[in-house]
Amino acid sequence: MIQSVDTILSLVLLSVLFSFGSSRLPVLIRVVAFQGVIVSLVPLFTNHDITTESVIFSLVTMSIRGIIIPLSIHLVLKRTAISREVEPIIGFNASLLAGLVLIISAAFVSNRLEIPSISSSALLMPAAITIFVSGMFLLIARRNAIAMVLGYIVMENGIYLVGTTFSTRTHHIVEFGILLDVLAGVMVMAIMLQNIGQKFDNVDTVHLRKLKDR
Amino acid sequence: MVELIFLAPFLIGIVSFFLPKKLGRVLIILTGGAHLILSVLLWRNRPEAIFPEYFSITPEGLLSLLVISLLFFLISIYTAAYLKEANIQSENIFIGSMIVFLATMTMVTLSDHIMVMWIAIEATTLASAPLIYTHRSQASLEATWKYVLICSVGIAMALLGTVLITLSMDVGNVDVPLSFSALSASAKDLDPMWLKAAFVLILVGYGTKMGLAPMHTWLPDAHSEAPSPASALLSGVLLNCAYLGIFKTNKIMSAAGLDDFSGTILIVFGLMSILAAATFILKQTEYKRLLAYSSIENMGIIAFGTGIGGLGAYGAILCLIHHSLIKSSLFLTSGNILLGYGSKLIEKTGDLASLMPKTLVAFFAGFAGISGFPPFGIFIGEMFIIVAAFRTGHHIVAVIFIISLCVVFAGFANQVMKISFGKVDKGTKIKIEEKLSMVWPQYILLFTSLVLCLWIPDTLYKTIMDAVSAIGGGF
Repeated sequence: MIQSVDTILSLVLLSVLFSFGSSRLPVLIRVVAFQGVIVSLVPLFTNHDITTESVIFSLVTMSIRGIIIPLSIHLVLKRTAISREVEPIIGFNASLLAGLVLIISAAFVSNRLEIPSISSSALLMPAAITIFVSGMFLLIARRNAIAMVLGYIVMENGIYLVGTTFSTRTHHIVEFGILLDVLAGVMVMAIMLQNIGQKFDNVDTVHLRKLKDR
Repeated sequence: MVELIFLAPFLIGIVSFFLPKKLGRVLIILTGGAHLILSVLLWRNRPEAIFPEYFSITPEGLLSLLVISLLFFLISIYTAAYLKEANIQSENIFIGSMIVFLATMTMVTLSDHIMVMWIAIEATTLASAPLIYTHRSQASLEATWKYVLICSVGIAMALLGTVLITLSMDVGNVDVPLSFSALSASAKDLDPMWLKAAFVLILVGYGTKMGLAPMHTWLPDAHSEAPSPASALLSGVLLNCAYLGIFKTNKIMSAAGLDDFSGTILIVFGLMSILAAATFILKQTEYKRLLAYSSIENMGIIAFGTGIGGLGAYGAILCLIHHSLIKSSLFLTSGNILLGYGSKLIEKTGDLASLMPKTLVAFFAGFAGISGFPPFGIFIGEMFIIVAAFRTGHHIVAVIFIISLCVVFAGFANQVMKISFGKVDKGTKIKIEEKLSMVWPQYILLFTSLVLCLWIPDTLYKTIMDAVSAIGGGF
């Protein structure tokens, strides 16, 4: 059991590098979907007692994080259908290097933290930190609005991983509320993206810098 | 039946997405009135919640709830009149979002569970996004995009902070419900390192929503692009909701004996906000942005006061209440000016005194109130904060605080004079004349603020004291 978690988590770490080095949005969306699926399944492996409730909850989480959210972004991309490049502010080689540094430092930091509840897996904590920070990185280092929304989703995935690994205290109903909020948030962003695509013929955020103090 | 007060407006809001225009305008006033009555009943009876794990009535929650309720009722009356004049597409979406927005903010004031609080605050972001996008222009699209993205990312930080609180429980071997009240009661056992990390993240997260510098960049855009009734709600009460999240977390910090740490951070963020506002107010060219920066300044004052503690915390709550009352009236008034002159630029306005005299009274009284002229409550609040700062030995920050307040006042006064008495091109005609129904909600708001300076009802005083005593506030 323990090793299988680490295997899929190492795949997640690889997917982070993949997303940093890729210039195409469809690839990025697939990486986000993959992370969404893995992140929702991890609690099933780490929790000792598996109940029907937790299985159902994991499946619901998986269908929202792994299918519905990426699919809605994919639909937006199809409808606006203009630029599929991520328009990097930080180049791909530099991004890849940053990704490597990120993974190493995440592993280093998690070794130094003493957290009682997650001794079961060696990679959980580094993976959670890496996913969270990589989401922030995508938000900062990409100019394409769709890539920024994907960065936000990756960040949320990271927080979910942190939350589920740290504690079993929260009730499923509360976590479901958070999930609904995230879903509604992504939907609102998807609508905004579509409007941006129609109004500016482009989702480059350079156009979104007109409002400022003169 | 505490939950009824946010579930009911939520359902009404959803229904009103599908209602015709005229019905919606009546419905929003009725909802506001019913909500106000329910809030007053809640204040008097203080019943138990159906789900006490998630919701409970706290003094600070009650204060915010009553402010939200009163403001929403008055703003709804203004909205009905405003919608007749302003040409807004898809009015049902506007009204529906306003009511759902009310529901989510009410939920914030009543939530006691740390995660439910997060859910409610994120829900306010989503419910208010359509309000900012009402005009469907490129500028409003940009403002909404910034608002949704910056606030969602910011609030995600707060979620991480909330998760770290549960971690501090694990490390400290504390087994209590995840509610603010239970955590405050057993705060001493929580692990201090993780609790500090959690507080910083939560302050950054909810601080983004509250408009603290340097995370405030969405605020002027959103407040100036939204239609005026929506700006009034955003500025008057939404910022308070975010503050409530910080206040409650600060309560846990205070109970854990870490109030020096949290206080210092609050003071730093507060001062930065006041300074940022001071720089941008001086050269402002749009009056709605001017008001938005003034909100940032006031949120800075409130964070500063909370950080100082003691008398300062009491002053901060006073500022919070009066800022809501006065700033919402100012934003409503700015709606009249916008309808009258048809421009957001200060240079296109002028001579309000002879062109729109009734609006001038509301505008000028609001300006006097918000910049802390002696009879108004903000003056009293700021005085308490300054006295507390000197008493606790924060001499340098107190001096910076006073100087920046003076700068803000000078900049604000300069712009207000231009709008009120400045010269205007000959032959300027007011496009839409001021109406009584679009002035008296502001008069009531300002009058309430004035009354509260001279006389605070005992029950209100007691509730404020209950709220601030938990963070070591009071006389």
